[in-house]
Amino acid sequence: MSKFRLYLEENNRSPLKQLWREFRRQHSAMAGLFLFIGFFVISLLAPLVTPHDPYLQVDELLLLPPSWNAAGLVQYPFGTDDLGRDLLSRMIKGTSYTFGFALITVAGALLMGLLLGALAGMSKGVKSSVFNHILDLALTIPSLLLAIIIVAIIGPGLINTTWAIMLALLPQFVHGIRNAIDEELKQDYVIAYRLDGANDWHVLSRLILPNIWEKLTIMATMALSTAILDIAALGFLGFGAQAPLSEWGAMISDSLDLIYLAPSSVAIPGLLIFTAVLSVNLVGDGLKTAILKRRQS
Amino acid sequence: MTRYLFRRLFLMMFVFLALSLLAFSLGYLFPGDIVQNLSGLRQIDESQRQQLVAYYQLDKNYLQQYLAFLNRIVHGDWGLSFASQQPLLQEVKLLLPATLELAAYALLLSFIIGIPLGIVAAFKPDSIIGKSISALAMIGYSLPIFWWGLLLIMFFSLALGVLPSAGRIGVLYEIPHHSGFMLYDILQADISYRQEALHNALQHLLLPTVVLATFPTTVMVRFVRDAMLNVWEQNYIKTARAKGLNRGQVLYRHGLRNALLPVIRQIGLQFSTLITLAMLTEVIFSWPGIGRWLIDSIYQRNYPAIQAGLLVISTMVIAINMLTEILHAFFNPLARRG
Repeated sequence: MSKFRLYLEENNRSPLKQLWREFRRQHSAMAGLFLFIGFFVISLLAPLVTPHDPYLQVDELLLLPPSWNAAGLVQYPFGTDDLGRDLLSRMIKGTSYTFGFALITVAGALLMGLLLGALAGMSKGVKSSVFNHILDLALTIPSLLLAIIIVAIIGPGLINTTWAIMLALLPQFVHGIRNAIDEELKQDYVIAYRLDGANDWHVLSRLILPNIWEKLTIMATMALSTAILDIAALGFLGFGAQAPLSEWGAMISDSLDLIYLAPSSVAIPGLLIFTAVLSVNLVGDGLKTAILKRRQS
Repeated sequence: MTRYLFRRLFLMMFVFLALSLLAFSLGYLFPGDIVQNLSGLRQIDESQRQQLVAYYQLDKNYLQQYLAFLNRIVHGDWGLSFASQQPLLQEVKLLLPATLELAAYALLLSFIIGIPLGIVAAFKPDSIIGKSISALAMIGYSLPIFWWGLLLIMFFSLALGVLPSAGRIGVLYEIPHHSGFMLYDILQADISYRQEALHNALQHLLLPTVVLATFPTTVMVRFVRDAMLNVWEQNYIKTARAKGLNRGQVLYRHGLRNALLPVIRQIGLQFSTLITLAMLTEVIFSWPGIGRWLIDSIYQRNYPAIQAGLLVISTMVIAINMLTEILHAFFNPLARRG
């Protein structure tokens, strides 16, 4: 027997559940979420799921075409590169470099941004004004230029570019978090809480953080797509991941010389970057819509 | 408005001060010898070194060194490039127009395509057209630009062979250097093959412009769409509808004017991204602009050039940022308060 409800019941779900309900209604966002989880799992388990050693050079199998080609082998679905390394394994391994390092970068930038943003948001007067102006400068320097300068100072490499991108992402986080905190501080319930005797730390941890985490998530997804694109771009230019590492951008620049012989070795890593960024953007857009709808209801 | 202008100008001075401090400290932060990094000279013998130390006031304290640095920048002595041993300011002057030309056409294209598409997408957000515009914008927003450029080269230059893949103009055409802006130079030049040269230059311009315009266009579509949807909810729109205006009239008289105002500001905010993307586009299409020059400078460890590039590009971005902010405040009295 189906449940029969006579009276309209008050629907008091937790904010998170309401958010999930709104999020689940958007098919594109759900597709993005599944892709995102897929990339996340692969980047964690990359060493376990690669069918071959991504760095093993097999001399007999140089430039093997993909398996849908008549000359391809089914053991090597995407074929091999000019050194006889399995492309599928390299791409799986590359997930942890491009996608995984982007996640770490964003997490680091978010934490630092939270700290600095909280400091800037809670302080007043000259201190906050000076801070703001420095931020304005940092926001205007193009991220790639900043990364180039950092690479010039500390040298190329995946870890160094991670720091560079983290620094390049930081200003927008601090800016966004500072504005969000400013907006929260104007609310009446903050004043009421202060009148009850709460100090800055109480206000920040009990009122502000629970109220701005939605904005934080949206900022983080936007930053994540930038971080993936930047890591890949720096890898492509040769400033990021160095020779044997199979970072997706670096893989594209490695196979550029072979673009006539093996166009798929340029096309597939690019497609992966595109898919990863698309999944992040889909999730971010879905979250934004879900939050908007939850607020309205 | 005057008060606002003064405050903005004061802020700009502060930002330029911070920028010059950063550029100054780079001389010390970069690896290698400070005298080499400042002057751009590779081989420096002992007597020359003493001269340079005196000229750069390296024996004095940091404040005096910084003041000397500012003085040199203002007077146009930016040092030499490690790679070419040419004065950096001259090099930058030759390269900057190429980048500006590319960026300007891309920005223009993004307006011409992005704004109407955004309005259409907002007008009927749930129709097929609205949804497909949003989906296209999402795809363009996620494309890695270097890969997108390579794909277009693979298709149009390698497979079809209809468009050139590198450079600003074919080597057959000699265009006297005037302003550095290719199309303007061709139109100005007194040559018999003007038509052909113009055609060729436009062909070279097409692919890089499209690649560079992709991201700003999608940002513009999303931005205009969101702004329109937001304005459409406002009470004055309902009032206008209630007074009997039809949709088109409301859109033109009340919707567009309010929704397109923030677009002016968006130009300034997007410009920094645009320059980043222009650097990548220049590398892919071998476009002889300042972005490719900067990236080459890293490969060659050409530190004076990186410093000069930082100064020029950041100054440009800051100036455009300020200009759009002021324009925005000029049109929108509400923005003058903040």
